[in-house]
Amino acid sequence: MKIVVSVKLVPDTNADKRIDPGTKRLVRTGVENVLNPFDEYAIEAALQLREKRNDGSTVTIFTMAPESGKEIVRKALAMGADDAVMLSDAKLEGSDVAGTAHAMSAALKKTGFDLILCGTQSTDATTGEVPGFLAELLGVPGLTYIRKIESDGTTINAQRETDTGYIDVSVSTPALISVTKAINEPRYPSLKGIMGAKKKEIKILSLPDVEFARAAGTDGAKTEVLELATPPTRQKGRVVTAADGAEGASAIFDFLKEKKLL
Amino acid sequence: MRDVIVFIEQRAGTPRRVSFELATKAQDLATALGGKTHGVVAGAGAAQAAEATKPYGLGTLHVADGGATAEYLIDPLVDALEAVAKAAGPSLILVPNTMIGRDVGSRVAARLDAGITSDAIDVTVSNGKVSTVSPKLGGLTITTCAFKNTEYGVVSVRPNVFAAKAGTTATASIETTALPPKTYAMKIGSEVEEAAPELGVEEASIVVSGGRGLGGPEPFTTLIKPLADALGGAVGASRAAVDAGWIPHAHQVGQTGKTISPSLYIAVGISGAIQHKVGMRTAGTIVAVNKDANVPIADFADLLVVGDLFQIIPELTKRVEAEKRH
Repeated sequence: MKIVVSVKLVPDTNADKRIDPGTKRLVRTGVENVLNPFDEYAIEAALQLREKRNDGSTVTIFTMAPESGKEIVRKALAMGADDAVMLSDAKLEGSDVAGTAHAMSAALKKTGFDLILCGTQSTDATTGEVPGFLAELLGVPGLTYIRKIESDGTTINAQRETDTGYIDVSVSTPALISVTKAINEPRYPSLKGIMGAKKKEIKILSLPDVEFARAAGTDGAKTEVLELATPPTRQKGRVVTAADGAEGASAIFDFLKEKKLL
Repeated sequence: MRDVIVFIEQRAGTPRRVSFELATKAQDLATALGGKTHGVVAGAGAAQAAEATKPYGLGTLHVADGGATAEYLIDPLVDALEAVAKAAGPSLILVPNTMIGRDVGSRVAARLDAGITSDAIDVTVSNGKVSTVSPKLGGLTITTCAFKNTEYGVVSVRPNVFAAKAGTTATASIETTALPPKTYAMKIGSEVEEAAPELGVEEASIVVSGGRGLGGPEPFTTLIKPLADALGGAVGASRAAVDAGWIPHAHQVGQTGKTISPSLYIAVGISGAIQHKVGMRTAGTIVAVNKDANVPIADFADLLVVGDLFQIIPELTKRVEAEKRH
């Protein structure tokens, strides 16, 4: 089985971030990019599937990002993936959800796959809309919010999260699956993995390489950003030290009354 | 875009409250665009859900509960929405920003070659152009996005930001959209309920969350749930509590969980690290209870009570219950 894990590079949540009021873009200086935290679960799920199948199945990391993101892709390879493909093209800058999904679809068709795994959403744009969009464009079933996967190589049996539990779903490959964090505990790269990743192939594809026929990036986007505003930061509020339960409860009760929340 | 189409998410005949919020909002938007409003209700129980949606005043409710709608999860819903959208012509499609809503919205956008914006907390029309406002980067920025053209556009709307108001005029016509019998690739099996159906954190206007400070799973049932019930709210949790296996992931608020904007958020035994903060910092009011005054949440909670949560929460629940009886 050829398993492709689609990942995204995002600004580190822990970094101190701000928006440049002039360019209306994130100030990248001092903000490191990292692997989208959701995607680590997808990589782990792919590695576990490969290990369980033990039939020559392979795991390829795929991402749409500038070539400078190579080192982060290498971290994904260090977890144990076999190789990587990057769709890197300056023309992709300014892509919206639709544009991103179309470009990814073209590249993934070129790369080929039996199964695509991805995270539920990214921590920067947080749309959660790429998996469904992509599945539709690729013409394969999309299983989203998956918390458990089993496969015999051709059939995928999975559990989809619901608000109260889960629902069993199954498909035949090829398919696309987005996973939630409930699926596993991602491994840390081993020293051997880190050393080995240096020798693994990262193939770079451009838009002409994947025969992308649509307008790309800002030109192809169906939506445009008009404004980026910085919301007022929350201020430190009242602090009450409660000697006992009644005192603490009163402090909250009175506060809720004052705010007309009760 | 002229008409406004709302995807009415429902389960076994009961629409989610966010469906009514979108139905209410759709009418203002359609007036501004000079178009009509539609609701699309699909899946088992659709006819019953349409009846429940009637008071919210959508022009036409399109019901699809035949064909394969009961046997498949997402695909028939997408088919039903696509059919109504194609008949209506270039239109604005509103879906709830929920697991089902995002799936249906993104897939129908792909089919209609539409633009899509997500997690909107406002939708406006100016000179026939539709813009949406969404928090991005974990609430660090508030982004205003516009659809460049007037073809199809899809917006996923955050629950709990628009009021649901039953209008003076109820829906006049319910139309049945016949979906042909069809076999889809994704088969669904049995559904397993691990918890009783309750209000989800995304939709609740009050959320009471528990974290590491609870020390185990029991306080979620003995402390957090009773307070949430007394306030008419939902139970949330921090990543630490979910990772410890004390409560299912569906309750998690934060970076790898849900991003919410309730009017009141009560954090119990939660330190408020950045990964939690990004999921709840757009709440109206934040109250925290912690034994430690030097936790990150102290810097952004509107009220921090430093004390023993095991004593404070039961007392507070009693006070709230007594208040509600008045």
